[in-house]
Amino acid sequence: MARRALIVGTGVADRIAAGLPGWEIERTPGAESLDLVVWADYPAAACTPRRLTDLSLAEWDEACDRPLRAVIDLARETHEALAANSGTFVVLVPLMASAGGAEYTALASLGEGIRLLAKSLAKTWGADGITAHSITLDPHAFLAARDAAGIAADNALHDPPLGRVPDDTDDIAPIIEWLASGTAAPLVGSSLVVDGGLWMPG
Amino acid sequence: MTGLLADKVAIVTGAGQGVGEGIARALADAAAAVVIAARRAENGEPAAAALRERGHEASFVRCDVTIEADVAAAIEHTIDTHGQLDIVVHNAVSPPGPPGPVQAVDPDVITAQIATSTTASYLFARAAHPHLAANGGTMILLTSPAGMEGSGNLPVYATVKGAQRGLLKSLAREWGPDGIRVNAIAPVAWTPAMTTATQANPTLQARLEARTPLGRIGDPETDIGPVAVFLASDMARHMTGQTMAVDGGRYLGL
Repeated sequence: MARRALIVGTGVADRIAAGLPGWEIERTPGAESLDLVVWADYPAAACTPRRLTDLSLAEWDEACDRPLRAVIDLARETHEALAANSGTFVVLVPLMASAGGAEYTALASLGEGIRLLAKSLAKTWGADGITAHSITLDPHAFLAARDAAGIAADNALHDPPLGRVPDDTDDIAPIIEWLASGTAAPLVGSSLVVDGGLWMPG
Repeated sequence: MTGLLADKVAIVTGAGQGVGEGIARALADAAAAVVIAARRAENGEPAAAALRERGHEASFVRCDVTIEADVAAAIEHTIDTHGQLDIVVHNAVSPPGPPGPVQAVDPDVITAQIATSTTASYLFARAAHPHLAANGGTMILLTSPAGMEGSGNLPVYATVKGAQRGLLKSLAREWGPDGIRVNAIAPVAWTPAMTTATQANPTLQARLEARTPLGRIGDPETDIGPVAVFLASDMARHMTGQTMAVDGGRYLGL
């Protein structure tokens, strides 16, 4: 029987879903049992460069607070389904969350918040057989190519050691699949950085 | 640190008690004029009066940090009363509710936690920016070790405190060219919440102290306050985007 994943979001979420061909993919919550939940539903408002002082309260809410609440609510909503299958909860995080990014304050706040949510879930959900992780990705996964290249040019200290940034479908999806496997069971609450070695933070 | 913040004006949120009040006292002792911003006048007024009794320039402004108009009014009060704004310390936080996993958290607690942490940080940053830019000012956010290591018992609190760290790092990059520094403090200290928790759980204090290399929980005024003074002063003029854990060594692995 195919394993069942809930993939929330568009863009990078779509590309991850394409990299899980053997899985039954759900795009909205509601399933009684789940082996995997992946969240990457970053709104366009968060992925567009804007200075904080140019954001209205409504725009900040749309870019940060509302999606932050949505991820927390998703965790609450899927807990029982994940517990039914000893599943895995994964959030995808832009590197600016931990490294900072001018004009991406809302995106970074949202990303770092949910990275800490994943850690926090892992601490208590382990008793229910659920693991939780975050995967930090290069800005290319979330932003328009020109904006992502600008961040890399501004901040990266070297060229990507692999000569490229990872492909969401071919490189990242298999890592998520591994995190959801029994082999990765001892890995709990991890914050993986999968960017081809471009940043090497921490 | 006497005189270190002479001619500086600070506003401290949640300064009617706990860590906020301790930081306000330390800033005032370093010669800053201090605005006590608090939601409840019964806490904020006495805190400001206590500073004035110690010979400091201080005032109180009632402020619900989650309300845009209140934040704007608090900044306006600071300028009207003290002439400038150099230091913003956002410390206010809503009660995290009883310990438990995320699926057990009261939805109203989630709403309040996001509002007092991420929304309020944004509101104060936006409202204070022109004044901080004019003076080469600084913003300090009070986060938590939970915002770095996560928390099984307070998962929403850890989430919003992490979100504040994401904000401060990006804001530090964005505002560096404006001459504004942005940093954070992650304390473990005697707050009203800590007092409540230790009273409810008689063994908690001993367990916390046993796991803390310095062997005690921090004092808001004498342990946390001086770090805020340092970050607000020119001694930290080349520091931005940093989180200083002021926890007696409790979280060495972060």
